[in-house]
Amino acid sequence: MAEARRHFVLRIAGAAGVAPAVLGVLGGTGPVLARGDETDLGILSAAVTLEHHAIFLYGVGLKRGLFPSGLRAYAVEFRGDHQGHRDTQVAIIEERGGRAPEARSDYDVGRLTPGDAFVREALRVEIAAQEAYAALISHIDTRDYLLSAAFILVDEVRHMTVWRRVLGLKIY
Amino acid sequence: MAASGTARATDYASAAEVLDTIDRLEADVDGRLAAIARAVLPAQAFVASVAADHARHRVARAALRRRLKLDAAPAAGPPRPAGTSLAALREAQQQLVHAHAEGLPALGDARAVDLLARHMIDASRHLTVIDLWIEAEDQRG
Repeated sequence: MAEARRHFVLRIAGAAGVAPAVLGVLGGTGPVLARGDETDLGILSAAVTLEHHAIFLYGVGLKRGLFPSGLRAYAVEFRGDHQGHRDTQVAIIEERGGRAPEARSDYDVGRLTPGDAFVREALRVEIAAQEAYAALISHIDTRDYLLSAAFILVDEVRHMTVWRRVLGLKIY
Repeated sequence: MAASGTARATDYASAAEVLDTIDRLEADVDGRLAAIARAVLPAQAFVASVAADHARHRVARAALRRRLKLDAAPAAGPPRPAGTSLAALREAQQQLVHAHAEGLPALGDARAVDLLARHMIDASRHLTVIDLWIEAEDQRG
């Protein structure tokens, strides 16, 4: 991961409340995580935290009409995906006797400007999610969660690619 | 897709089975893309980009097979005639994405998971480009 992107992912993850041990993996500075239930729960909590952040951003964008009108259907679809990712991972945490992090009432999402500027903000959150899942997936121990995380990562790539296309950025 | 692909996931038994399946499905996508590129000139840039990604992935998978002491990939047969349907291409590409995702739990090796997850990111990006292409064609009527 390029340094600037690593810094960005860490900033988003840190602002969302991801645990320090997982931030270490995302930043490439932490110790190798021992594979097992405890690590899986740490990754699950980090992932749920990032999903809460994404759901909040899409919710604000849809409520305030910040997405360009022709792109609202994508925003609704992607928010639904993030809600599904949250619910899947919360269910896995609870099956294992853990307690999932709750959403905050507010997130520091900066000054939000409508139009392409807001699409860029959504893209930044999607990049952070994709980078985080890509960095963490090989640390997952259990087959069921690894399979779920793989399909979640597929969704994050779709979101990122669509927003890149909308903004006229390279997608192939 | 929303993680729904897990509902009827293929349960791979070994890393060899995963890699053989990916090789086979990737060759199918390559054949379809080549046919489309011959028929639709504006598609050539995308097809060339996917071909470059696939070539890089094949090299990495071959190295992975050696590290895991698996047999080399089966020799590719002669290319089969492929149609130019975008819907069929999409179906083939989706199968390739799913083989990567569903194959990860069978690998049993963290470095292999990391590698194939990164290939899956490329494959998912290709699938989305195909989706956007189909949407654009539909809008044109």
